[in-house]
Amino acid sequence: MSRQASGFRAWVYQRITAVLLLLFFVYLLSTLSFAPPADFVAWVEWLSQPLVRIGLLIFVGALLLHSWVGVRDAIIDYVHPLGLRITALTLLALWLIGTGLWVLTILG
Amino acid sequence: MKFRVYRYDPESGQKPHMQDYDIETFRGMMLRDALKAIKAQDETFAFRHSCGEGVCGSDGVNVNGTNKLACVTPIADLKEPVEVRPFPGRPVIRDLVVDMTQFYEQYKAIEPWLKRKEPTPEQEILQSPADRDKLDGLYECIMCGCCSTFCPSFWWNPEKFLGPQALLSAWRFLADSRDQAKDERLDFLEGPYKLFRCHSIMNCVEVCPKGLNPTKAIGHIKELMLKKAV
Ligand code: SF4
Ligand code: SF4
Ligand code: FES
Repeated sequence: MSRQASGFRAWVYQRITAVLLLLFFVYLLSTLSFAPPADFVAWVEWLSQPLVRIGLLIFVGALLLHSWVGVRDAIIDYVHPLGLRITALTLLALWLIGTGLWVLTILG
Repeated sequence: MKFRVYRYDPESGQKPHMQDYDIETFRGMMLRDALKAIKAQDETFAFRHSCGEGVCGSDGVNVNGTNKLACVTPIADLKEPVEVRPFPGRPVIRDLVVDMTQFYEQYKAIEPWLKRKEPTPEQEILQSPADRDKLDGLYECIMCGCCSTFCPSFWWNPEKFLGPQALLSAWRFLADSRDQAKDERLDFLEGPYKLFRCHSIMNCVEVCPKGLNPTKAIGHIKELMLKKAV
């Protein structure tokens, strides 16, 4: 049985990314409050650890996916004219992809 | 006791307005009795009712901002002036009488009957007491519409989102050990609209006069989808 696409899958993505976001938030909050990098050099060093980089990449990926599903839901609820809806969804997608690429260039 | 009631007669050409009534109360008076008293004062006033005991589901109205079944709502609990309006989001036919067509269409869409793949037996299809218990909290729905017409997701998409009543009923058949169309039913519910417009706002649970919990039923449907997917 295939249960693909926009309804069920979007809901599952939403749940999984919510957990990832929560975990990473807890991690971020605890490191930044117990051992905050003191200066720019320390920040760069912190960011160059492979685990932090991977974590950050997953976090940004989850954040973008989570936003896509969430804002898409709001658009489906409130924006009914088809043209306007397609425009809104396209803009949202472009903006999220742009943000993703931007983060990649910073971390890359 | 003071009542402010929504009045609208599309044929009159007048705009909808609120009209005040003062009625005499008695001990144990229900909102339906009050509406009947208003009707006795002013026979142009229209509302639906029948059984008078919370069974037929025909006298759902919006009272002081929430949907209630008039015949089981004691007026002693209501703040004055009691504002009575038709169900929100529904086209008004006249005064408190609304067009519930979309609500019934959504119920019809979930195919609310037992489906068998095996040939139907000569006798009843037996069910264990434990399986029968799974239908409690589901079969009691009287289709009053209090829930669906108080659900924001149903206001925005009444033609595509099934709404809490139909979803509760969808689960009622998914949960039934005698039903043999689970996969079909789940496939039908897929897509962004029919089920997944529900954002667990829980307005439905708050207003159900039968104390049913559509949000929980919706959660069960999602769980079952998850179970089938992994
Ligand atoms: S929980 Fe879902 S079905 Fe119930 S009122 Fe909220 S959105 Fe509607
Ligand atoms: S679930 Fe409750 S509120 Fe909704 S239609 Fe059934 S009885 Fe009425
Ligand atoms: S009159 Fe039948 S439910 Fe109220």
